[in-house]
Amino acid sequence: MKDEHRRGNPQGAGAWRRFGRFAALAALIGSGAATAAVTDKMIADDATTTDDVVTVGMGQGGQRYSPLTRINTANVGDLVPAWTFSFGDEKQRGQETQPLVYNGKIFVTGSYSRIWALDARTGKRLWAYEQRLPDGIMPCCDVVNRGAALYDDLVIFATLDAKLVALRQDTGKVAWSETLGDYKAGYSNTAAPLIVDGKVITGVSGGEFGIVGRVDARDARTGKLVWTRPTVEGHMGYLNGKENGITGKLNASWPGDMWKYGGAATWLGCTYGGDTKLIYCGTGNPAPWNSHLRPGDNLYSSSTLAINADTGKIVWSYQSTPNDGWDFDGVNEFIPFDFKKDGKTVKAGAKADRNGFFYVLDRSNGKFISASPFVTRQTWTQGIDPKTARPIEADTRPGDPAQAERGKQVFSAPSFLGGKNWMPMAYNANTGLFYVPANEWGMDIWNEPITYKKGAAYLGAGFTIHPLYEDYIGALRAMDPATGKIVWEYKNPAPLWGGVMTTAGNLVFTGTPEGYFKAFDARTGKELWQFQTGSGVVGQPITWEQDGEQYVAVASGWGGAVPLWGGEVAKKIKDISQGGMLWVFKLHRTQLAAQ
Amino acid sequence: MRCRAWLLAAAWVAPALAAPPDDPLRSPAWPYMAERYFAGQTVRFDAAVRVLMAGAAEDPLAVPVHVDADALADVREILVFADLNPITTILRYEPSELARPAIGFRFKVQQATPLRAAVRTGDGVWHLGGAWLDASGGGCTTPSQASGSGLWKDRFGEIDARLWPRADGWRRLRLQLIHPMDTGLAGGIPAFYLETLDLRDADGRTLAHLQTFEPVAENPLLSFDLGGRGVVSIRGRDTQANRFAGTVAP
Repeated sequence: MKDEHRRGNPQGAGAWRRFGRFAALAALIGSGAATAAVTDKMIADDATTTDDVVTVGMGQGGQRYSPLTRINTANVGDLVPAWTFSFGDEKQRGQETQPLVYNGKIFVTGSYSRIWALDARTGKRLWAYEQRLPDGIMPCCDVVNRGAALYDDLVIFATLDAKLVALRQDTGKVAWSETLGDYKAGYSNTAAPLIVDGKVITGVSGGEFGIVGRVDARDARTGKLVWTRPTVEGHMGYLNGKENGITGKLNASWPGDMWKYGGAATWLGCTYGGDTKLIYCGTGNPAPWNSHLRPGDNLYSSSTLAINADTGKIVWSYQSTPNDGWDFDGVNEFIPFDFKKDGKTVKAGAKADRNGFFYVLDRSNGKFISASPFVTRQTWTQGIDPKTARPIEADTRPGDPAQAERGKQVFSAPSFLGGKNWMPMAYNANTGLFYVPANEWGMDIWNEPITYKKGAAYLGAGFTIHPLYEDYIGALRAMDPATGKIVWEYKNPAPLWGGVMTTAGNLVFTGTPEGYFKAFDARTGKELWQFQTGSGVVGQPITWEQDGEQYVAVASGWGGAVPLWGGEVAKKIKDISQGGMLWVFKLHRTQLAAQ
Repeated sequence: MRCRAWLLAAAWVAPALAAPPDDPLRSPAWPYMAERYFAGQTVRFDAAVRVLMAGAAEDPLAVPVHVDADALADVREILVFADLNPITTILRYEPSELARPAIGFRFKVQQATPLRAAVRTGDGVWHLGGAWLDASGGGCTTPSQASGSGLWKDRFGEIDARLWPRADGWRRLRLQLIHPMDTGLAGGIPAFYLETLDLRDADGRTLAHLQTFEPVAENPLLSFDLGGRGVVSIRGRDTQANRFAGTVAP
């Protein structure tokens, strides 16, 4: 392909000489397209503009809500494929990506750190880029990628060897590349970067290898580091190359030198509150999993951190699972939203945590508002103490192995894969409901002794997963954040692992491992439409408007953590075909004529 | 036949332009090469451009070549390409006045092919030299040896270089960069190669600029004849924006 491109230039030059005036016109049009640039305003407005999708999360807050109504409960049954694109190669693994739409192009990432630019009208491939990965990469949970970021004329995505790569939107040529961590020490990156005021915000993956979690802000145009904020207490932060204070207070909640390899990976990236000017980042499990080796709260693991976008300082934090001993993480997305309580508007944020609680916090100061279970069983806790906002722990922690080969085994629900894992929920301001892709499973878990060794798994735990119910694992649940009540639910046999999107057309979209892409009535949960995509859907759906029609797109391609870690769950998923495909839908034309 | 048809077409489309001269190497791909690289420009086959290499490729993954255009004055660019390689362009070399218009390198060959050096002089004329290379084949579609061992990342980006004076007054720089130079044509391995290399002297003067492409052999071994003064600094960049830098003292 490269060579064809080069071949085009001398021919083009010849044509210009022969048709001078026409060539000048073409050059003008061409340069207009080349200067198209994604601005901070376009990113800040992404949640309300309908003709593009320039952020993962369909807005910096990640509500995944579209004001479009052209496709709605009355006509969604007429949704049909417009075109598809195969990612190709033999590298068909989990496709957890979200496409971006801008300037007539779709930018979509795939497994094994690949990215494509496609013509948004035809699906024609414009360019492709594949990161040359070393053999020694150590992603814990499949070779996925969760999407890119757009800024100026760049498209930026993170790779499995912990690089951040910026490519020109028009050509796919690499503009800059920066290293986020040493892949040999277990660092990798799969999350979509977040753009905030010209800075590209990223986290790191690798909590299973004793890395130290971090949030970085770089100049999005050049890749130059602006600030970095470690997520484990005792580690130094930096701003413009100068020391910017350590995170927390050394040894306040970590014993000895356990904080040095303390985990708290920011592996799912961050969201942003435009009104609070705060970046909200979830942090993962403390390392190692064996919590008896690190008595204390282990700040700031399994938490939500609010970080000042300009200074890289932590403004507030909320820890959902202190001294996490179940790999519950706290990494799930924190989504800003407003709701009415006693006639007043509450500026809140919500997070459906791996530990099974749906939290509502004040997004400006982190103050606890409520926590409601969104799964049917939580063996590890008796609820949240409203006075301290801390969980009341049930006596179900796996036993201390001390010097023994293994400690007492316990059954725990949710499992370490969580009441909800990475797959993002959606919030619909019209219905006032969050749509949470939940899973009902538990685990047998036990602890083992472990010491840190660079590049080796740092768990000190063993586990097997068990479904809680015979007939379903996955449950898409509509949660009312004001009451904490589940308004409706859809049960799915296999675990849900795909993102959710909702629209003003009163619809909720999500996919299933069984291969179906589905649409539900946002108020009642009634299933209105489904389409078999040929492989499991674990991607993040989007919608946008183009040439007067509304489009919906989602990636299909089974994978992610479930087939790698799934224990007994494997029975429900072992026959799912691999894939790697972008599906784009719109309404059937006869339906359009009727509108 | 194909050749004549093309000539007719060219005459019809662009009567103002000179048709490319007959190819002394009688390559079946010459008309396409002429269109790809020299459309609308003046091309001359010229014995002053010397391409030195063995007649047959002993190792199709690394065929040593030396191109020398010192017999020409005012050389601006040396383009090296192989007509019948799946990716034809091998390198583009732009020596400054502080470098001899000559370069040594190794490249991957896919099948028997003419190898050509096209030398552009200040008047815009391309002077072409070249020779047939016989080859058993497969050099471009075989995974790099580094890919087989999986260890390429351990030494990736290392530069070995030597700089020594020659009797003719030039300073010979020989350098090797550890890089897999993957062509993208081997199954499952994306294209990944050194794109540019810049050489400067101790006063910061540009000595030479080199663009390299997929067919340059794994762990590129390159020879330059340089003028300038003192330490030579080497700066490179590959297709994934990895940057390489080093200096070599006389």
